[in-house]
Formats: sequence, structure tokens, C-alpha cells
Amino acid sequence: MKYIKSLTLGVCSVVMIGCSQVAPDIPSNGGSNVSDANALNSQTVTIDENDINSANGISNNSLNSLNNRYNSSANGFNSLYFAFGSYNISDDMQQVLIHDIQIAKQTRGKIKIEGNCDEFGTDEYNYALGLKRAKALKDSMVMQGVNPSRIVMISYGESNPVCKDMSDECYQRNRRVDLRLVR
Amino acid sequence: MRFLLFFITTVFLFGIDATLQIEKDVEDRTHIAIVDASAVHDNKVYDILKADLKISGHFLVNENLFREGFDMPIVSPELKNQEYVLKYKYDNSINAKLIIKLLKADNSKEVFKKSYAISNKFKTPFLIHKAIYDINGFLRYPDIGWINRYVIFSRYTTPRHSEIVIADYTFNYKKVVIRGGLNLFPKWADRKQSSFYYTSFNGLYPTLYKLNIYTGAKSKVISSEGMLVCSDVSLHVPKILVTMAMDGQPDIYEVNTQTKVKKRVTRFKGIDVNGKYVDNEKSVVFVSNRLGYANIFKKSLTGNAITQLVYHGKNNNSVDSYKNDIIYSSRESSNAFGTNNFNIYLSDSEGSKTRAITTTGSNQFPRFNSNGSVVQYIKYKNNHSYIGYSNIKSHKSLLFKLGVKKIQAIDW
Repeated sequence: MKYIKSLTLGVCSVVMIGCSQVAPDIPSNGGSNVSDANALNSQTVTIDENDINSANGISNNSLNSLNNRYNSSANGFNSLYFAFGSYNISDDMQQVLIHDIQIAKQTRGKIKIEGNCDEFGTDEYNYALGLKRAKALKDSMVMQGVNPSRIVMISYGESNPVCKDMSDECYQRNRRVDLRLVR
Repeated sequence: MRFLLFFITTVFLFGIDATLQIEKDVEDRTHIAIVDASAVHDNKVYDILKADLKISGHFLVNENLFREGFDMPIVSPELKNQEYVLKYKYDNSINAKLIIKLLKADNSKEVFKKSYAISNKFKTPFLIHKAIYDINGFLRYPDIGWINRYVIFSRYTTPRHSEIVIADYTFNYKKVVIRGGLNLFPKWADRKQSSFYYTSFNGLYPTLYKLNIYTGAKSKVISSEGMLVCSDVSLHVPKILVTMAMDGQPDIYEVNTQTKVKKRVTRFKGIDVNGKYVDNEKSVVFVSNRLGYANIFKKSLTGNAITQLVYHGKNNNSVDSYKNDIIYSSRESSNAFGTNNFNIYLSDSEGSKTRAITTTGSNQFPRFNSNGSVVQYIKYKNNHSYIGYSNIKSHKSLLFKLGVKKIQAIDW
């Protein structure tokens, strides 16, 4: 028994000593008095891309039509709205979908479908959600005979809100897909 | 035998009781006081010095500010209970100059002294980080080189407009590197932080570019319809993990940045995003809604089997990795129209050893530092946003207030 006691106390002591952190020995000569910040002086660039939007060939028609206060699409298209976290086109939006398909068939050139989200999401997932909304619309249009080669999709995630109020109606307006012709 | 059983039980309890572990860690940290010997006290300089010492996890900093002459030979009696005294003198009348010395508190012996200067005063935070990095290294504590690194982030300015900004980790230094247009998802392209990837949404298709922050040299990497994000960069080969949508479907691809060859990693009709290398870059962890809500999964780069890693939370929509450790944000409330609780969790690539890094508020965008010892995150609290840091080992956390512009993505 005495042997076990001694062994136990010995192992305990070794464990406790092993856990403590001993301050390092300090050499007597210390550090040198030198300037050591040259590497920090490298200057970084600033790129200004403010001119790009006017040169990319995208139509900049007014986001709000006179006929529909909350429509942020252009060229006769109407925006479709989605439920929180969803990328299914709801029954409420079927008439809008039919309207947009008619407009697509009446027009020529490429149609840009822009997926958008509310602010309740982060990082990549929100952009993927916006894209899935755009794709839901594209798939429906293609099924109704619109040539898929005319359609391009892009997700703007939460970057393109049409309002910034902290209200359910505002969040709803931002969960949308906009359509416009590419000029 | 009873003694042996008692010992085994005690050691076992020690091993699992995190509270006891924290207390031990606090006791082990080096007690240090900061003395400002500058002609004019600058709160910002003092705060950064203090923050650097704290977040290192190696120091227990005296919260009081002390002022005395730089050349006073004797440490003030009120500081004798410290182990070290860090005395500094900062002057920005012409250039930014910082002189530091480290004294042993018990015998006033000067053990370290160094001076720093820089012509760009705005980079003063980096001077301070370098000084604390040097002191930490002198004391032979584990490396804290990550405090010298740039943080890069994108923030929204107006609808469909953003800026990409580089900053020091405290956000006291900030510089816009890309302004105008919609440029998002910056991700450092190399360990030296000389270049970064970002996605431009300024053309018809999202396009991934690589930009050198010193020369301005910019090169196109790849473009994709719908969305395109560089999520991770290989440490060993010229490959990156991206989320893109070649057929309108957001999936994860591995792209060779030299040959531009793309390899599809996931194939799912829903959403797969945010791929991060784990298991020595043999597997990826990622966010997917394959169970009907965003959650964290793992997949081998060569096999087809997919493993669910997280079994809690209502929406786990962001993940980062360091070697085999992962951190993720988890929504723990279900308010569709307002503030939700998001917390950051630490786990590993097997989904085990999970523990919370944050416990209150809305905490998102979790990112590891360059050696996996500290977690960075964005906290939203009382209509303000903060950049937060939590040292995994010491459990020490820091918050720095951010501006009003919303952070879109961040990398460190």
C-alpha cells in the first residue's frame, strides 16, 4: 500500500510540474536598438472601377415602372417575389410568370435574369440562393418555349436591395428576381 | 488502491473540465504592465499595444495606464508585482516612430529594446504589431506572426456597389484597394498576401480575377454564369476551390489556376457552396441544403460519399477550416424577420470535439488565422457591428468596433 501511495504521489507531482509553464530565461545582452520596419513601407495600390458599369453593355432603364410601384425589372418585364429562404415560384407569382414569358417571346436579344435576396444571409449561401431563384424562372421560361440561349443569369445576393427599411414588406421586396434585356 | 482510484478519477475530471483548464491558463500567462513614456499620450497606440498582448494568449495585461519617463532607471514600486514592464515612446511629428523596451519588474533590468520607424503614419498599427511580435518572440512564446498580417474584406457602399479593403487585424489601419463597381469575395491568393482573388460582377458574367496589391497587376482566372466565388486556396499546388454554376447550378469545383482545368467536386440539384480543404487537402467541407436547410458536410475529392458533420442548429451557412479543424456559424433562433442568434462553433473534420466559441448575439463570417490558433468573426450587437477575435487556447476574446458599411466577405 505504501508503495502505491508513493507511486501515486510521484506521478501526481510529475503531472502537475509538467502542466506548469516556466518563464524562459532571459539572455543578459537583450535586443539590439535597430530600425526594423522597412518591410512595412511597401505601398499598396488602389484600383478604381467606377467607369466599368457604363461600358459593359447592360441596359440601365429605370428600375421602377410607372404602372407597378414595386417592379424593379425593365423592358416590360415584372419582378417575381419569393418566400423567406425559398427558391420555388409560388402560386401567387404564376400570373407574373406568364406575363414575363409573353414579354420574352415578344422581344429579341438576350434576357438577363437577376436573382436577389434579403439581408438575412451571409457570404456565399445568399448568392447561391439568388441564383437558384433566377434558375427557377429560367427553367419555367424554357419549358414554355423561350430559347435558353437567350437567357443569362446572375445572382446579386443581398447586394442590390430596392429598399432598406426594417420591415417585412421591405424584406419581401428584396427577395426577388428582376428581368431586363441586355443591350 | 483507493489512492490510485482517487488519482485516476481526479486526472480524468481535470481532463474534461474546461473551466478548470481556463483557470490554469490564466495563471500561466505572463503578468505585464504598459508604461507610456511618449510626450503626448495617444490612446489608439496604447489600445493596440494592449490588444496585441491580450490576443496573443501569452500575457495577462494590467488594465491601468502608467506614465513615466523612458529613461527612468528604476521600475515604479507599484509595478513590482508584475513580471515585466513594457515601456514605449511613440512620436508621429514627422514619421511614425516607436521605441520599446522590456524591463524585468523585480530588478528593473532592461532585457529587450528596439526602435521602429515608418514614413506612412497610417501604418502605425503594423509598427505596433511588429513590436509585440518581437517581444513575444524574444520571450520564446509560440509564434504570433498572424498579428502582422493583412485582413482583406469587401463591404457594400450603395446598391450594386462595393469596395475591397485591406486592414490590420484591429481595423485601425484600413485602405481601399478596389473601389467602384461590384467586386466581392476577396480571398488571399498566397501566404505572403501579395495577391488576392476576387469576383467582379461588373460584366455579363461573374469573373474571378487575381490582383497584386503592390503592382496592380490583374489577371483573369475564370468566369461563370450566375455566381462565382473563390472559397479556398491550396497550400501545396496551384489549385483553388470555387463555387460556380456552369449550368446554372451552384456546385463546388476545384480549378487548376495554371491549366484552367476544372474538376467538379459536388453535383447536387440544390445548393452546395463554401468548399474548404481538410484532411491534408484530400477532402472538402462545404455548406449544402441537401437536408432542406443549410448545414455542414464533408466529401472526399476523389470519392462520392458525403458525410454530415453537424447535427445541431437551424441554419449552418458558413464554414472555414484549418488543417483538420473546422469552424462554422450556426443560427440558433428562427426569426425570419429580424435579429437571430448566430454562434460560432469549433469542431473537426470528423464532426467531433465540438464546442462553442461564442455564446451570445449574432456572430457570423468565422475565419481561422494563419496558424489556426485564433478565430475571427463579425458580431452584430445593438445595431453595431464589430470584428471579433477569440483565442482558442486561452479563450481570450476581443472586439473592435466597425463602421456602418456592411461587411460582405472577409479573409485573413
